[in-house]
Amino acid sequence: MKDSTRYNRQIILPEIGENGQYKLSKAKILIIGAGGLGAAVLPYLAAAGVGEIGIVDDDVIEVSNLQRQVIYKTSAVGNYKVEEAKAMVLELNPLVKVNAIAEKLSGKNAIALFEQYDIVVDATDNLSIKYLINDACVVTNKPMVYGSIFRFQGQVSVFNYQNGPTYRCLYPDENNKSINCEDAGVIGISVGIIGMLQANEVNKIILEIGEVLSGKILVYNVLNNEQQKYDFEKNTAFEMNKTIFEEKYKVAENQIEEIAAESIANEIDNDEILFLDVRNEDEVPKMNFKNGIQISLANLESEIEKLNRNQTIYIYCQSGIRSKAAAKLLQRKNFKNVKSIAGGVLKLKQFLNEENISI
Amino acid sequence: MIEIKYFGVVAEKTKCEFEKIPFSEVSLQQLLQDLEEKYQFDSLTFSVAVNQKIVPKASNFTLQTSDVVALLPPFAGG
Repeated sequence: MKDSTRYNRQIILPEIGENGQYKLSKAKILIIGAGGLGAAVLPYLAAAGVGEIGIVDDDVIEVSNLQRQVIYKTSAVGNYKVEEAKAMVLELNPLVKVNAIAEKLSGKNAIALFEQYDIVVDATDNLSIKYLINDACVVTNKPMVYGSIFRFQGQVSVFNYQNGPTYRCLYPDENNKSINCEDAGVIGISVGIIGMLQANEVNKIILEIGEVLSGKILVYNVLNNEQQKYDFEKNTAFEMNKTIFEEKYKVAENQIEEIAAESIANEIDNDEILFLDVRNEDEVPKMNFKNGIQISLANLESEIEKLNRNQTIYIYCQSGIRSKAAAKLLQRKNFKNVKSIAGGVLKLKQFLNEENISI
Repeated sequence: MIEIKYFGVVAEKTKCEFEKIPFSEVSLQQLLQDLEEKYQFDSLTFSVAVNQKIVPKASNFTLQTSDVVALLPPFAGG
């Protein structure tokens, strides 16, 4: 079966044509959230022949999802949503490349993820993550196709489109509260309609047809079919770049690098590396590293001048928890290369015994 | 008359989706303050639109008769 046969009914539209179909096949779309909105957006983009679709969600399917997340089967309850969504797409249209990402979106993974796609679809169900998506879209210069629901009403907009207004221009107050579907209740049809409007915006951006909902928010009421569009402007007072992003979402602080006990075998005699024991002085077993020092976690901050900020430091404690906290503290104090030994002395001793390495 | 439209959680507070108030010289800030007193929005956040255009929260001007004001809270469901 030729691809052009599959897509014939849209290719014959003068606004799409072979050229439009080619644009669809080259497009890479990232959908954040495989819930009600995601379940509406996904099959339509896949069926239309979008080249690559990433889906991010770390949830598993629950029975209470099925009345609105219509791509999932009852038999799939308990499975990862992204895995089921991927299987659904491949059956629907095997020409689409699908990336199932069973992770929670965070400041740590957002930027690297967004950079791999052209358009980001916000199909999430809480407010704080919308600010994260917005900010990561600004940093990576991607449009954010936004949709959200409150009972029988929905909102749709496209933020950061060609440097246009963002979510923060519409809702600057990050500490606002609103309830999600779980608490407020929702019917599948509402999320279906709003998700479809989002898919429509994605399609228009890819095909460069129609008017994109940039600088406008559409509010739809499914009970009376009233829809309103409100204009809003870009607020230039709001600043966002990679440095601000990393600071705000504490990217560095959370990125405590751990090193496995097994990886240390070759480095035990390396003079360049300092082994820092953050246990209390009386804790055993002792480790006799050639280049070692003991400063308890409690004293670390006050005795920080005993350490060199440019030296590679491997930190350990009994089980690997205090050493992580210590690594965090040293990173905050601008230490360049600190790692926490995963599993601590317990793991380290066990490994060294197994390998018959003595120190 | 000025028409006021309410959406989302704001409409739950006001228990109506729109209302019209008899026009007398009133500034936007005065109107918002009156609504706050009447409905006790408390910690609810919303953006304010006048005639389909979102205006900065602190902006103040005299509303004209036949103006339509809308209070738009963020939605979070999905």
